[in-house]
Amino acid sequence: MVPGVVAAAVAGAFLAPPLLANAGAEGLPDLTPAELAANVAAAESVPLSGTVVYTARLGLPEIPTALTGANPIALLGGSSTLRVWTDGEDRSRVALLGDTSEYSVVRDGPEAWTYSSTDEEVVHYALDAAGQARYAELEAELREGPSPDVAADLPTPEEAASAALDHADESSTVSMDASTTVAGRDAYQLVVSPKTQGSLVGRVVVAVDAETWTPLRVQVWSTQDAETPALELGFTDVTFATPDDAVLAFAAPADAAVRDVIIPLPDETDLAVPDAAEAPTDATGPEDAPLPEGVTVTGTGWETVVEISGIDVQALLGSDPAAMAGLASERLIGSDEAQELVGEFVPEDGEHPGSDLDLGALYGTLTSESPEGQVISSALLTVLLTPDGRVLVGAVPAETLRGMA
Amino acid sequence: MSRADVLAGPVPPAAPAAPAALPGAVARLLRSELRLVFGRRRNVALLSGLAAVPLLLGIVLYVAQGTALSGQGPGFVARVTGNGLFLVVAALFMCLPFLLPLTIGIASGDAIAGEASSGTLRYLLTLPVRRGRLLAVKAVATLVFVTAAVLAIALVALATGAVLFGVSDLTLLSGTTIPAGAGLARVAGVTAYVAASLTGLVAVGLFFSTLTEVPVGAMAATVVVAIVSAVLDTLPQLAVIHPGLLTHHWLDFAEMLRLEVDWGVLGQGLAVQAAWVAVFGALAWGRFATADVTS
Repeated sequence: MVPGVVAAAVAGAFLAPPLLANAGAEGLPDLTPAELAANVAAAESVPLSGTVVYTARLGLPEIPTALTGANPIALLGGSSTLRVWTDGEDRSRVALLGDTSEYSVVRDGPEAWTYSSTDEEVVHYALDAAGQARYAELEAELREGPSPDVAADLPTPEEAASAALDHADESSTVSMDASTTVAGRDAYQLVVSPKTQGSLVGRVVVAVDAETWTPLRVQVWSTQDAETPALELGFTDVTFATPDDAVLAFAAPADAAVRDVIIPLPDETDLAVPDAAEAPTDATGPEDAPLPEGVTVTGTGWETVVEISGIDVQALLGSDPAAMAGLASERLIGSDEAQELVGEFVPEDGEHPGSDLDLGALYGTLTSESPEGQVISSALLTVLLTPDGRVLVGAVPAETLRGMA
Repeated sequence: MSRADVLAGPVPPAAPAAPAALPGAVARLLRSELRLVFGRRRNVALLSGLAAVPLLLGIVLYVAQGTALSGQGPGFVARVTGNGLFLVVAALFMCLPFLLPLTIGIASGDAIAGEASSGTLRYLLTLPVRRGRLLAVKAVATLVFVTAAVLAIALVALATGAVLFGVSDLTLLSGTTIPAGAGLARVAGVTAYVAASLTGLVAVGLFFSTLTEVPVGAMAATVVVAIVSAVLDTLPQLAVIHPGLLTHHWLDFAEMLRLEVDWGVLGQGLAVQAAWVAVFGALAWGRFATADVTS
């Protein structure tokens, strides 16, 4: 009798908190999408720290982090935990947690570092001399505040929000969902869904904190799965306080290998592209921005397909993926019976369970053959690599891409 | 040396048939139990064997230093040559999946079933100590032994690491370097968490030990529970039950080596252990308090 009571009490103690936390947020005043967008646009970015859980259900093979350590490639599938710290300005740290490892990205003003605990490698990113000068100049400008004539040109948060909504309205329906609770905080939910049916994206749901107007969770739902979101990135725990200075600083460990990467200042033509995109109210849309050579864009809105030509995938991989796939499934394992057993578990189309992180093998695992070329299909994005060196990417079904190739 | 012999002196000769608690009896029983556990030759051998793991690991890494194989290995092994403190973490990491569960199995599986199989359990029950308290004494003695096993690994690893590789400032998993003193505290935290996260398995082993008169059966069952739990933990289809698995939070000791220790993560791991202790402790009590002891 006593063990039963104890078991029930333990089960209650572990199951009750999640049930209570799932109760919806009550008492939040109703907002229209425009009001919500205006609040978000007006909000200053706040210092925060917290834990973020990222889950991808893209239908790609899962890569166990136990084998690779904490590695960004794990973000392709499965669930990952990240810790996030930011001071709300230009210093932040993101750590991807593995079982016994960690991959950190630290940004401190114009500099950034990545550190992988698995191979103890530090990569230091810095702007070149011209870039640093420009960064310091911009920072000084920011500190002084916008000059009066620039301030007059800047749209108010309400204007910016309504412009963004107008822009989204061209291809999407924007609506509000019932308010919810994310990481223990009341949040509004904004739903953006495509107006047309041709895309793989079913809808995008953004949960925004009702107090600080910080986005707390983003879910991307695929049209192929109505039960669970294909991509989910959300806080499970968040604190709005300035993180400790030691967290936001980074100094390379004494015995680590440091690789320096200098990022050149983009020239003026490249800078023009984001400017055009930021001003969607202009008659000139982003499609008028100059595209790099070999890149063409077809379709609009959610069904946009980008085509890049002149890419030699085989050369990039440095090996023939088909040969790789064949090699892996044909290796001999002890007895004939065992080999047959392995054969049964290996699908016929050349896919094989990939624990090996060889780039070629990974490529073989991800792609499948089609008459038009190799296809990487996931719940949200499809990539088609044709034998003549063209790469087509879009959030559309594989058939659409194959029709265009 | 049987329990009855050990206790013959201190216990009043006119021990009542229905045991009633006498002052000091539990403390005396615990003292004799600890003497017995640490006096057993196989337990001493077990402790020495565990202590040899970091010694061996340290020597192997020391010899392989500077060859192409240095800097390789799972988890923390690659970092040991840079800082002796990591030998503690690496040794615990290596012992955690199998050697420590085996130690727990041997110690806790033997606790009740060992007495039953050697025929001393019924004499033990004539002592003026209630069955529940007797079980608690057995549990505490097993826990002390398991803690001693973890400490043996940690201390030998610390000494070996300090001698072979030296102790220097500790580089955390986040890439931040902290002073050696703070690093030592972190490593002590790792050791404490590892020891605390083994309590659930001790309770499971103690429960099995009350079920049988064959100690080997209880030992094997305990080890099997740990291994099955680890296997279930790798199946993505069972992700729902993973957070409650006995072994799921064992590797969370790595939290101690991150820049900002999230005590919530460690607390959750310990809460799961507490739950297993509560359930299997209650089961063991329910079984032992009412069991007919015939041997």
